[in-house]
Amino acid sequence: MRSEELIGELTAGLRPVRRMASPGRQAALWLGIAAAAIGLTVLLHGLRHDMAERMLLPHEVLQWLASVVAGGSAALAAAMLARPDRSWRWALLPVAPLLAWLGSLGWGCMADIARLGPMGEQIGTSWGCLRFILAMGIPLAAAQFWLLRHAGPVRPGRVLVLGGLASAALCSAGLSLFHHLDAAVMILLWHGGAMLLLTLLGWLLGRPVMLRRPSART
Amino acid sequence: MAAAQAGDTRAYDRLLRAALPLLRALARRRIQNAAEAEDAVQDALLTIHTLRHSYEPDRPIRPWLVAICERRAIDRLRRHGRRGGRETPIDDFSETLASPGANQGEARVAAAELRAAVAELSQAQRTALGLAKLEDLPLAEASARSGMSVGALKVATHRAMKALRKRLGVKDSGVED
Repeated sequence: MRSEELIGELTAGLRPVRRMASPGRQAALWLGIAAAAIGLTVLLHGLRHDMAERMLLPHEVLQWLASVVAGGSAALAAAMLARPDRSWRWALLPVAPLLAWLGSLGWGCMADIARLGPMGEQIGTSWGCLRFILAMGIPLAAAQFWLLRHAGPVRPGRVLVLGGLASAALCSAGLSLFHHLDAAVMILLWHGGAMLLLTLLGWLLGRPVMLRRPSART
Repeated sequence: MAAAQAGDTRAYDRLLRAALPLLRALARRRIQNAAEAEDAVQDALLTIHTLRHSYEPDRPIRPWLVAICERRAIDRLRRHGRRGGRETPIDDFSETLASPGANQGEARVAAAELRAAVAELSQAQRTALGLAKLEDLPLAEASARSGMSVGALKVATHRAMKALRKRLGVKDSGVED
């Protein structure tokens, strides 16, 4: 078939479509859903016992804010990259807060060696962290992918990674509000590890959603 | 495009036809094969159609079209690259197979049929055919070499030709000599 004939067919079958919300609004919508879901869970669990004293430590507050900003900026970047004409540079948006979060944890690890002794003794297991981040993060990431499924024919991979990262970072921030982990290395291992796992899972499991052949919308 | 989103078919038609040269140029810049490039253009048209609800009217249309077309062209190149590793195009090879004898198949079959047909003739007919038709000798010399009379040679040659024609499915001309 010649391209001119294809245009004729596409035009002949044209139906009005509802215009999609702007990427900013899509990101805001998803962040609202995520904040509500995570906030509800935090309320159910109750804030951690040492919350008040933690909030007095600027280092801790900055670390928490960095994870929230990383989640928010990853969500915005994913929504932007889902549009074909937006610059790929949006993908760099969450890099700075993510590095700040990791850097702050690394610095915390150093401080903990002075406070708590050798690092080997600080490391334990915290399957609860992994469970929470995955159990909360997978549905949130799925919602994100569903919202941004129009990225499939254009930039599926990057949108999947950023969407997974957004869910994971916000879940980690929510978890920090009610779950007590004393050593920074534990947060780095269990929160960071769970975030990495969720991002990877999102990329693997989200591909079928994103790369599904778009329904013939005529 | 904003009008197309609302369902204006004429605006949509105008937009796509106006965009076609741009899409073709983009595809041809990436893909050398003209047919493959045209396929990429059609992929791009289909994607534009599928994603038309995601276009934001306050932004220029050109970068949106360009990004989609580039994406489809790259996809097609990748698919082509993957396929190219596994497949060998055979369109050009129909006349030239690897084994030297393989291309003479039909001629060999025809020769075998002819030999089989000749083998079914009587000894006298084979001799007459060999001398009169293959060696093209004058009847007198053929008669001297075979020891057959000229008349017998004529009859044997005629019958041999007739038998061969019948056996090989060639229509008899019907002319008796």
